[in-house]
Order: sequence, then C-alpha cells, then structure tokens
Amino acid sequence: MTLGYRWLLLIAALAAIPAWAQQNAAYVVRETDLKAKPFLDAEALGKLPEKATVTVLKRQGGWNQVKSGALEGWVPMLRLRLGNPDPKKNTTSIAAITGSFNQRPGAGPTATTGVRGFSEEDLKAAKPAPEEVKKLDDFAVSAGDAAAFAAAGKLTARTVAYVDADGKPVPVKK
Amino acid sequence: MRSVGGVDGLMKNIKDATGTVDEPREVELGHGITETLLGARPLLDDPALQRYVNEVGRWVAQQSERPLLPWRFGVNDSEHVNAFAAPGGYVIVTRGMLRVVRNEAELAGVLGHEVAHVVRKHHLNALRKGAWVNLLGAGAAAGTAGEQGGELVEALVGPTKELYARGLDKDDEFEADRIGVVLATRAGYDPWGLPAALQTLGTLKTDDPYLALLFKTHPNPGARLDELGVAMAANFDGFQGLPTNADRYLAATKKMRSTPPQAESKK
Repeated sequence: MTLGYRWLLLIAALAAIPAWAQQNAAYVVRETDLKAKPFLDAEALGKLPEKATVTVLKRQGGWNQVKSGALEGWVPMLRLRLGNPDPKKNTTSIAAITGSFNQRPGAGPTATTGVRGFSEEDLKAAKPAPEEVKKLDDFAVSAGDAAAFAAAGKLTARTVAYVDADGKPVPVKK
Repeated sequence: MRSVGGVDGLMKNIKDATGTVDEPREVELGHGITETLLGARPLLDDPALQRYVNEVGRWVAQQSERPLLPWRFGVNDSEHVNAFAAPGGYVIVTRGMLRVVRNEAELAGVLGHEVAHVVRKHHLNALRKGAWVNLLGAGAAAGTAGEQGGELVEALVGPTKELYARGLDKDDEFEADRIGVVLATRAGYDPWGLPAALQTLGTLKTDDPYLALLFKTHPNPGARLDELGVAMAANFDGFQGLPTNADRYLAATKKMRSTPPQAESKK
C-alpha cells in the first residue's frame, strides 16, 4: 500500500513542529528557589512552592530556564518534572511526542494488537534469530574508531567517580 | 531433543566450580539471549544508523571497567520504546526509543544505562539467582560452540523470555541509572542526558501500549528521577555546558525518523 495523501499531510504537520516544543509544562517536586542565573549561589528571585507549575523555556546543563507568572528564572533540572503531577493523568501518547507513524489519528488506544514490535506478546512469541545476531558484527566499532568519532564530536574523556544512591562518590568497582 | 538431559548431565561440572562464569561463556550466554530478543523483532535496515549507535555506545562503554568486551550495539525495528542489555556486551535499543531521545547526550545516557547492566552483570546474576543456574552450568561446561552450544541457545529461550518480560530488581535499575550518567559524563557528554530522556518518558500516558513493557520492567520515570536527583546532587555541577551533539544525532536518525515502520499487520 502506498502512503496516502492524508499521511503526507500528517508527516508534513509533524515535521513542522518539533514535538518536544509542546512538552514544556512542568511542576517543581519540592519548594525551590527561582534563581536569576543557572548557579547555586545566584540571586533568588522568589520561591516556588511544591507542585508549583511553570513553563520550561530551555535547558542548560543541569538547569532549566522557566517562566512562573511574570517571572523568568532558573531551577535545577532535577527539581522539575515535565507533565502532570499525577502521571496517571498524562494524556500525551507516544505517537504525539515522537511524531511517529504508529497510530492513525483517531485510531484510539487499541493499536497494540495490530502492530508488531517489541511488546511482551512479541517477546513471548519470539524464535531465536541467530542470523540477526551475526549482523551485529557488521556494525561493530573498534575502540580506535570510537575515539575518532568522539574527537569529531568534540567529546573529551573525563575522570568522574561513580556515585552511590546517597550521592557519595565511590571508588571504581572491579 | 535431549537438552534437558544434557543440561542436567552438565550440572555436576559446576558443582565443583565457584559459580563464576568466565568471560567467553558470558559472551556466549549473551549471544544466545540476544538471538531470542532479536527473534521478537529484527534489526532495523539502516546500516548508517546502526554504525552510529555503535560509535556512541562503544565510546561510552570504553569509559567502563570492561572496555575490552566485544561490545555490540543494535537498533531493532520496533516502535515500542525500550532498550535491552544482555551479558557479554550486547545492547539493543528500539527505534521507538530513538524517536523519544533528542540528542546524542541523551542516547549516551540510555546506552550507558544498558552498558551498566552488562558491567555489573545484572542479568547474569538474575539468571544465577533464578531457577536457571543449570543453564550457566551448561554454558560453563560447554567446551566448544558445537552441539552443546546449540543446546544452550535452545535452553535459554524460556528463561530469556521470562527474565526480559519480568525485568530486573528495581535497585539494579537505579544503579544502572547512576552508572549510566557517570559513563556518559566520562565520555564527555552533558551529564543530564539520561535525566532529560526520563523526563520525556514521564510526560507520556502511563498506559500507552508502546511503553507497556518498559514501564512493566522498570520503576516509573518519576521514581528514577527522584533517585537520580539524590545521587547526582551537586556532584556534576562542574560539568555544565558539555556537548549534547543534537545536530549529529538528528542527522544520524533523520532517515529513521522520516520512514514509517514496516507493515502494520492487522491480524
């Protein structure tokens, strides 16, 4: 079946709007200072109470620039959660955010039975595919190639300790 | 078919052993597990993207304590959002996950999480703790990848389906998040890539069918972000402004993003 006209319209519409640009409503998980700049010791413009809603403007490292009423400022990214304080009330489907093709408009949530992929049912029905694992060898990258790729992307290896669940640095486990 | 008898027969060989699985056997087990995972859904036919994901993944894995494993990364052709690791250095990410991810730093964080499962032997330990220790015995005792190797793959099918449908312990997942963040940062990426991807996942309908297996097998994104918030604390404040390489990511995934998935069967 060829791609229909309606599909092309949908593709064009989805391509025009970066899907994540619409995903900018957020709330703070606990009381948080709204900072004038993205630094811990920056001036506090005010306090955002727990569950205060904000609009995310952008992210810069571990900080999000947000709008709260008339105020604009910065909060640590991990104090923020995008979307709804009660995740069960989230209404965004994966198709909406990814611009993917897996649900026709209005098709409803029942598409799961019609689409093959990596669902639990697909996993349970799987038969070993040794030829697919062999294909992985064709795409494997050497350590040297990986380093060249990193250099091309202006990535520099750094020394960083692991952290435990309490945020304490831990030595490398062998 | 004599796999059960054969496995039983091999059991006594590890009774004497320490219970550890050496690296070649670990890779063999991972190979067998990945045969079933890719049996559920094959690789995406996009060699350039496959190569790109291997470049990012290998560079991240090089920052771990196990840089010399024969790391293999792959993108499978599934719109379901997920990623998997198998012992010995096998990592599979779905195209659905690559649609959710927005830049290379986020991808590095996701792959770092999977690399962590391999490095910390989470699946191997889960198999060992489960009723499947005799499979490890079969793997450890199989001298060559001959008849016994095939037997091993066959015997792995059931445990693979059970383990990957059930998932790991949540503490393994939280640990993999912490290690994934560190590996991505060691690789020179913006440390907040994995948290950003989790934030995106946290905005989605919790009953979306394309997230069902991921959400069944992992703590919810909010809980993972809570844990990461405590663990990251101010530890990464010195790594502000590192690259996310969004342009390179969007270029590498452009073809995948603009191609519909293969036939939606209506059975």
